[in-house]
Amino acid sequence: MSDVKVLLFGAAADRAGIRQTKVRINHVVTLGELWSVLADQHPHLIPMRETLAFAVNGEYARMEDTVSTGDEVAVLPPVSGG
Amino acid sequence: MFFQILKEPIDVKALITGAFHPKCGAVASFIGTTRADESGSARVEYLEYEAYRPMADKKLEEIGEEISERWKVGYVAIVHRIGKVDPGEPSVAIVVAAPRREPAFEASRYAIERIKEIAPIWKREVWSDGYVWVGSQVGTRP
Repeated sequence: MSDVKVLLFGAAADRAGIRQTKVRINHVVTLGELWSVLADQHPHLIPMRETLAFAVNGEYARMEDTVSTGDEVAVLPPVSGG
Repeated sequence: MFFQILKEPIDVKALITGAFHPKCGAVASFIGTTRADESGSARVEYLEYEAYRPMADKKLEEIGEEISERWKVGYVAIVHRIGKVDPGEPSVAIVVAAPRREPAFEASRYAIERIKEIAPIWKREVWSDGYVWVGSQVGTRP
């Protein structure tokens, strides 16, 4: 399977109405390209774009970083722990 | 060093006494407790926290490592609660033991500021008239 597992948290999960999804990719894409697919599927996320951070396999990542099949991507709204 | 994310109430007393050590002359703690804000006739009924695990656990450990690199400390404990937390209860507890008081004070302050910067943990205020994701202002309040 050529899927990337995408987890959503907090306000992002709330806006998208899902906490987890799969995005089909062709081997390797950038995080920015993955975001484009995700935003098409869940347009309610688009207004949040500037506030979101992303993690790939449990570490913060930038939009130009690559994502491969089997990776886990997390969509992280502004953190508010404490 | 002790880092934990848990659903049960934080045993603050055990956390503090667990930091006592003959080589440390200072134990500083920061306890974050849930605050019941009010607005007009509405009020916060409880808070609900969620974390991206295990990334959040890893970030707490990283904060401990950063502290050890910057200050001479003997012990660092960081515990964050998730799930439903009633008003006035601890949601986060930080305890730092150090040979002297300055690093204990400074490191405990540093830990809470870093949690609020890098730990993938979120809180949702559940009000009497809806809810709000703190930091995103996404919610259902009128």
